[in-house]
Amino acid sequence: MNTSMSTKGSPRDRVTGTPFTRGLGILVLAGMALLIVLGLFVSPADVNQGESVRIMYAHVPGAWLAYLAFIVTAVSSAAYLWNRTRSLTWDRIAGASAEVGVLFMGISLITGSLWGRITWGTYWTWDARLTTTAFLFVTYIGYLAVRGLGGTHQQRARRSAVLALLAVLEIPLVHFSVELWNTLHQEASVAGRGTNVDMDGLMLFTLFLGVVVFTLMYVWLVLHRQRSLTLDDMLDDSGLDNALTARRAEGMKR
Amino acid sequence: MDNAGFIIASYIITFGAVGAYAIGVIRRSRKSSRDIPRDQRPWL
Amino acid sequence: MSHDLNDDDIGTSADSLDLSPRAVTPRQQRKRRPWPAIIVLVLVVAAGGIVLTKFLTSAIDYYCNVNEIGAKSGCEAGHRLRVQGVVDKGSVENDGVTTKFDMSFGGVTIPVTYDGEPGGIFKECIPVVVHGILADGVFLGDRVEVKHSNEYKAANPNRVKNEGSTSEGTACSQ
Repeated sequence: MNTSMSTKGSPRDRVTGTPFTRGLGILVLAGMALLIVLGLFVSPADVNQGESVRIMYAHVPGAWLAYLAFIVTAVSSAAYLWNRTRSLTWDRIAGASAEVGVLFMGISLITGSLWGRITWGTYWTWDARLTTTAFLFVTYIGYLAVRGLGGTHQQRARRSAVLALLAVLEIPLVHFSVELWNTLHQEASVAGRGTNVDMDGLMLFTLFLGVVVFTLMYVWLVLHRQRSLTLDDMLDDSGLDNALTARRAEGMKR
Repeated sequence: MDNAGFIIASYIITFGAVGAYAIGVIRRSRKSSRDIPRDQRPWL
Repeated sequence: MSHDLNDDDIGTSADSLDLSPRAVTPRQQRKRRPWPAIIVLVLVVAAGGIVLTKFLTSAIDYYCNVNEIGAKSGCEAGHRLRVQGVVDKGSVENDGVTTKFDMSFGGVTIPVTYDGEPGGIFKECIPVVVHGILADGVFLGDRVEVKHSNEYKAANPNRVKNEGSTSEGTACSQ
């Protein structure tokens, strides 16, 4: 690749890309294509739900990876708060992961709503699973807003880290809501307490593929977003430096 | 396919949202990288 | 924090500089008054309040099972209920305006009347949640939600053909 300084910011310069993320990106695209083929065409229709079961291959991995993203945010936040590992890199990983988690949770909510319309007969209802999920979603939008409140990078990191450690406690509540209360939403199919997986083999394989593809997407998105957040922070700092330099220069003239 | 519209829409929304977000991140980082020398990127 | 920059960011050498007011760049302005984040936070708190209210009033014990009507607290007949049961085999009648069916759970059966045709994957032998009110032993529903299970089986065209118009019994094979 071109290493000269003149290409900075030009379309040819893959700013946040590295050979690793480029390879990962190709893998993601191939995985997406395979998931579409298996999810939409090869996997069978369900005996009760018919074709609508195909939405599961986007809905369930979206929800799981959102959980994972929020857990990563909590772990990175703890790493920031701990004196011996304190680094703004952890804070930016936490922020990037939460953002991708909100994206995936949004995808899961919308696809779940479409799935609900054709199986339950309604887009939305206030049962325990849907209500706790909505609360989780709103909490992490709030987390992202808190990150945008301003102050120094360290103030942002400290505030949001504390919030992330509290917010992650909602995840068990969301996951086990279908077992704690009567819900319209079905119980966990794969990761439930004491459930035997009761799913057709090819359906289970397609769901597994969906989880793999969403995991790869997650890693790609978080790496790039973490790097773009690093650039933003550097820009903030350099903006400050530039302003100081400019003002020093003015002071010299007088 | 029954409910093809709903099913295909859910796939388009899923991959469309991820794609749009990815493009947004790349664009923003390209913009902010204009004032930052390439050799300052810690991941290179 | 009404100054445009923080002390620790600017460094000690700033004292000797001319700090008279000057045009603020858009970037600095955004940093000082993060209105978008504040507006989002206000909306988040409001939405969180609504969701929490819904959780306390609706989400905890979303429905009563058929056999819990009048037996469990909160499931008394006479006010609006959401009732869960399995649609009895062979009980579904639709005259184009009203759908009537029987719904059972835990050995108790109630007749249901619903103005319209239930949506979703409604059919016999499937669990449903009906919103409505119990009057004279008949449940008058105004909303039907199909509660499908977490079992996923490939649809087998041959098996579907064998079912259908064979038995009139109320037992579902599941």
